[in-house]
Amino acid sequence: MKRTTGAIAMAGITALLLTACGGDTESDDPTTPAGGEEESEAPADDAGEATDEGEAAEETAAEGEGGDGAEETAGPPAASDGTSLVIWADDLRAAAIEPLTETFTADTGVEVTVQIVAQEKLREQFKDAVGQGAGPDVTIGAHDWLGELVQNNVVAPVQIAPEVAEQFVPESIEAVTFEGQVYAVPYSVESLALIRNADLAPEVPASMEELVTDGEALVEAGDTELVLAQELGKEGNAYSMYPYLAAYGPGIFPLLEEGGFDGSQSILDSPETIQGAEKLAWLGEVGALSTNQDASNVIPNFIDGKAAYMVSGPWAIDQITEGGINYAIDPIPDFEDGGETSPFLGVQAFYVSAESLNPQIAQTFVQEYVPTEEIQVGMFEADRRPPALSAAAEQVQAQDPDVEAWATAAEGGLPMPNIPQMNAVWGPLGKATADIVDGADAAERMGTAQTEVAAALGGK
Amino acid sequence: MSQAPVGQSVATPAWVVATKWLLIALTVLGCTYLSWRAVEAGSWLIVTVAAFIAMAVLVVYATGRGITLKYLLPGLILLTLFQMWPIAYTVATAFTNYGDGHSLTKEQAIEAVQAQSVRPEPDSARYGMSVAIPEGETIAEADLALLLSRPAAEGTSGDNLLEGQELFVGTLEGLEPLPADGVTLRGNGTVGEAPGFQVLTLVEANERAQDVAEFAVPLEGGAGIKAATGTQAFVGRTTTTYDAAADTMTTIDGTVYVAHEGNFVPQDGQGPPLPTGWTENVGFDNFSSIFTDSTLRSGFLKIFLWNLAFPLLSVGSTFILGMLLALLFNDPRLKGKGLYRSLLILPYALPIFVTAIVWSAMFNQDFGMINDVTGLNINWLGDPWPARAAVLITNLWLGFPYMFLICTGALQSIPNDVKEAASVDGAGPIRTLWSVTMPLLLVAVGPLLVASFAFNFNNFGLIYLLTGGRPFEATNSQVGNTDLLITFAYRLAMESGSPNIGLASAVSIIIFLIVGVLSYGMFRQSKALEEVN
Repeated sequence: MKRTTGAIAMAGITALLLTACGGDTESDDPTTPAGGEEESEAPADDAGEATDEGEAAEETAAEGEGGDGAEETAGPPAASDGTSLVIWADDLRAAAIEPLTETFTADTGVEVTVQIVAQEKLREQFKDAVGQGAGPDVTIGAHDWLGELVQNNVVAPVQIAPEVAEQFVPESIEAVTFEGQVYAVPYSVESLALIRNADLAPEVPASMEELVTDGEALVEAGDTELVLAQELGKEGNAYSMYPYLAAYGPGIFPLLEEGGFDGSQSILDSPETIQGAEKLAWLGEVGALSTNQDASNVIPNFIDGKAAYMVSGPWAIDQITEGGINYAIDPIPDFEDGGETSPFLGVQAFYVSAESLNPQIAQTFVQEYVPTEEIQVGMFEADRRPPALSAAAEQVQAQDPDVEAWATAAEGGLPMPNIPQMNAVWGPLGKATADIVDGADAAERMGTAQTEVAAALGGK
Repeated sequence: MSQAPVGQSVATPAWVVATKWLLIALTVLGCTYLSWRAVEAGSWLIVTVAAFIAMAVLVVYATGRGITLKYLLPGLILLTLFQMWPIAYTVATAFTNYGDGHSLTKEQAIEAVQAQSVRPEPDSARYGMSVAIPEGETIAEADLALLLSRPAAEGTSGDNLLEGQELFVGTLEGLEPLPADGVTLRGNGTVGEAPGFQVLTLVEANERAQDVAEFAVPLEGGAGIKAATGTQAFVGRTTTTYDAAADTMTTIDGTVYVAHEGNFVPQDGQGPPLPTGWTENVGFDNFSSIFTDSTLRSGFLKIFLWNLAFPLLSVGSTFILGMLLALLFNDPRLKGKGLYRSLLILPYALPIFVTAIVWSAMFNQDFGMINDVTGLNINWLGDPWPARAAVLITNLWLGFPYMFLICTGALQSIPNDVKEAASVDGAGPIRTLWSVTMPLLLVAVGPLLVASFAFNFNNFGLIYLLTGGRPFEATNSQVGNTDLLITFAYRLAMESGSPNIGLASAVSIIIFLIVGVLSYGMFRQSKALEEVN
């Protein structure tokens, strides 16, 4: 045994460059070739990986400096040279924002560097990089990150002028406000809506009940395979199921009088929310919702004509158009007994880093240039999310009838809670939605979810 | 080593010497650059480490005095940097509450809370702003002044009116009217030129960005005029202030928050704490909560049992399948072995990221290939036992080629004469396999099986990509039925409601200890196998 360890160690070390220069001529040490052979299999693919993964906790710290995006901005472009503004965005939006910064550069002489960071990593990397004192000046992100970002002090307040704030859709400003302070400048408002294959289902269903009847008829006639396509998955999806859960009340947290949610207590087991959860159970029973539908197959099923109805958001439109589907967008129908489905609003916004070395430049960009029609319309053209600036929304409505449909669908919706407590809800509530759709008793299952969320909220 | 005397430079060609010095120089340069960057970032630990490495390299390779360390030094440095340091860091983190909302130092948190609490005064004016310095001074050192302008109300008079704008100059002393003589305004209403001042452009002012950000023109009643952007200023007030003597935060409406376990919590116990907290030493709290918190404890035990079963079953199943295939393809009568063998390596050659995701789609109850082809209707990823089976099946697919490879190698090294001797002694094929081939095979692959066990014990990628630890218990969305300890730790650290890295570090340390003890035991066992020889 000792011999093996020694041989492996020797092989590893001889592989290193410096040893060749130790002043010795090439030795015929017999352990070297033997060790080389043994080493080639085991440590290379097994032991090596196993030890790496033992330190999962270290990954965040390392990402701050070594992650794909962070590397470059940790250096000069983000910092000290004082002439450059660094923006992080995912690939789609980076491509959109880059040309839109030309006016800013022309007016102020400040160069803008746009850096692509993978969308699913952006939040984490921004948090880690800024936490290390690096990172960009500005990042594009969703509003529900806000509470977490404030908790870790990685975003700076945006002291936006009241007359500028008034030019936005009110919900979008509400979404980027945390404990009375505005932290970002929004550029779009999105929500879930009912997307209908107009060839298969020419009529707008008047209610969820009617949607189910229509869907079932189409399945029976063999035209489709699914009553409805909607993301849920085995782990559940509280965002996707929220319109139904909130049909009879606020759903997750009680509303505060001054606007926003009261994060100190959850109301998952309130009679209103349970009434909504019973609708989930019913939709699961009739097969409209299924935990086998997840992000990987919902949109493809709709495009393949396997479902006439889909509940999804503006991000699906590009794929649907490519698929050549004749679609129509309507609000998610209400229930016949008076339950009004109400989707969460999601807002995309520009955040300013708390560690920015160019704070006034960054603030000038987000407060004076982001609220312009040029940037708001330009961003709409990239990801088809309806603009948050009212004037820009009106302008694109003229070109694109979808925008008005999305706006109608968003009516009555509340912004997703941006309080950090929401992070304690997604998991347990998501799981509950999956179980209820799979047949668990709604009241009982919401009760256990409530217990778990309450424990998580109380423990902090 | 023994055939030549350890004489210096006798047979060393010039290019080797040159390369040696070049590499030494490069290492030292690299360390210098690193410490320069680290000094800029104020990270003295990195400076110390870089200096130590540079010195060690010089002593060992340049002076020849520590030449006996020449093979060990690179390994030692890498071992320290990439193994010892992460372990030490993890251990240190395990004794803190580091995580979301507790990622700052207390000083940073105090500063952050106060900075976040700056609110505009209700109904206050908003000013156009230009950053300026007294004429003739250098930007880097001069006292800053804000040249402010706001639309004048009807009927205002004074010598500070220009084109309907009322002009002011704000310094640290306070707000003064700015005589309009000689002042020009820019298109957006801000001051472009003023006698006695050099107005800075956005880029010039950025040289003093931090000073501008902290600059506040004091007004009566504690409010101040502060920069909102590079061209606008607002009247704001810090609504939460820190009292260092009492270690409390007081908001403008009189609520007092006291420091408690890494957060400022309301003194009267009513309401939530302030959002931004700090990292604090919590002693053994993380470790004790693993064993005392009832959800964590029951979860930990359950996950631990599955974490033992999974690698055992995985190694067992992959080894048996791999060995049977190896025996089959080792048969001299089989034609076209090269082709079969190459095909069998394929699952091993594909990255696990692809394979695991493809299998996860194949296990879908409604749309997946497995239920489609077999005609079953198993909820593979939704029910606990099928999910565990799915994990094992996928890992069998991923793992058997490795076992096949090492068994093939080991089988080929078993001399034929021992098998012939066995058959001469009257042993049948099964007896030969059991009593001759297997023991010799196990000697060769035993340590690799242990290594494979250790790898699967922490097989994060497979679980994360295939099931993500799911399905969960109804009452606890932190503990999944296919979770390994490592995916459980990852969820606690990264994905739970509020990532708790301190707790996850404590779990990692426990995993480390368990793997260590198990591996030690198994290496002892495999040593016993070796004695067969």
